[in-house]
Amino acid sequence: MDHSARRQLSATDFARVAVFAAIIAALGLVGSFNIGPVPITAQTLGVMLAGIVLGPWLGALSVTVLLALVAIGVPLLSGGRGGIGVFVGPTAGYLIGWVVGALVIGLIVHAGGRKPTVLRILVGTLVGGLVVIYAFGIPVYSFVARIPLDAAFVGNLVFIPGDLIKVAVATAVSLTLLRAYPRAFGRTWTPAAKDRVTA
Amino acid sequence: MLSLYRPGSGWLNRVPAGPKMLLFIAGALGISLLPSQWWAGGVALGAAVLAYAAADLRDGALGLQVFAAQVWAVRWVILVTAVAQLIFVGLEPAFANTCRITAAIVFAGLLMLTTRVTHLLDALERGLRPFARVGLRPDRVALMLTVTLSTVTVLGRLARDIRDAQRARGARSSLRAFAVPFLVAALKHADDLGDALNARGVR
Repeated sequence: MDHSARRQLSATDFARVAVFAAIIAALGLVGSFNIGPVPITAQTLGVMLAGIVLGPWLGALSVTVLLALVAIGVPLLSGGRGGIGVFVGPTAGYLIGWVVGALVIGLIVHAGGRKPTVLRILVGTLVGGLVVIYAFGIPVYSFVARIPLDAAFVGNLVFIPGDLIKVAVATAVSLTLLRAYPRAFGRTWTPAAKDRVTA
Repeated sequence: MLSLYRPGSGWLNRVPAGPKMLLFIAGALGISLLPSQWWAGGVALGAAVLAYAAADLRDGALGLQVFAAQVWAVRWVILVTAVAQLIFVGLEPAFANTCRITAAIVFAGLLMLTTRVTHLLDALERGLRPFARVGLRPDRVALMLTVTLSTVTVLGRLARDIRDAQRARGARSSLRAFAVPFLVAALKHADDLGDALNARGVR
């Protein structure tokens, strides 16, 4: 556990947290991507990657930094949304879910301090990026919009295909990143037995 | 800079940012908590229109022009909410809830229309001072938000360049093909930024 990093951030981690918050923002600003005929925004992809790359605490912190900027009125959410209005709106729960989601993703992906594997990244992004975010998003939507919980649940179904695509992209991208720029993860792993043989 | 601030010299523009933020949070929550009845929908919308009219926005239409632009900006929220409400809860709650949600969001938008981000940032730093006792450093929080804000501009340009380059090569807009070079470039920027902060003695 990197409790020390949480108490006293090094300049390096400070910069990584700030840049990742900016990455999530920039992913919302570049507009939508077409997956087949469906346009999806990439912002939750950024949340998933924050947990995968920065780990639980720094990942959650960078999402918090983004939301703090949004709260003081910088229009950084996709579609140029921002201000305290988004926190009283029906989708506020999803935003809170982002913080906890990044935390859970980081905990699963980096469980035991081992090098991330395909399986742990997939499980982490599915649990943290879908289940956890929905677990905050659906009840708050139901509460704010005052519609029954099961109706909010049904309405939430429209997000699932796009979010599954983001899980796939997050996994593919982070595996590429592990090979292309492992420094990004800011941690060292003891090589697994099979890697030592090939090395 | 990224901001929705609308320069002006009206009285609301001159109210200190901290108290104003608290006032708007309270107001938006107040609107959000109105009941789901016909009259409450009207009260919610009326309160938002009145707030814009009283805000001294000087748009030549008693704030109504700015109000309309704000409502238009959340048209998708309104549409999605209204449709879901009509399907699941019926006409009266659908009207009241859609008005209530729209009014709360649009009312809260008045805060960022009349307050500079830098002023809210300063107010936030002041507001966090009591938390210094539990180890939170308000100056570091403010620095973090400022650094992030300036990085958004850098990365926004980087993201556009990468997408333009891919379009120029005739590539279709693939999220994965975009994300890898974007992340590598952004995280290299993070390393440079970390070195720069270190060199300036940020601890």
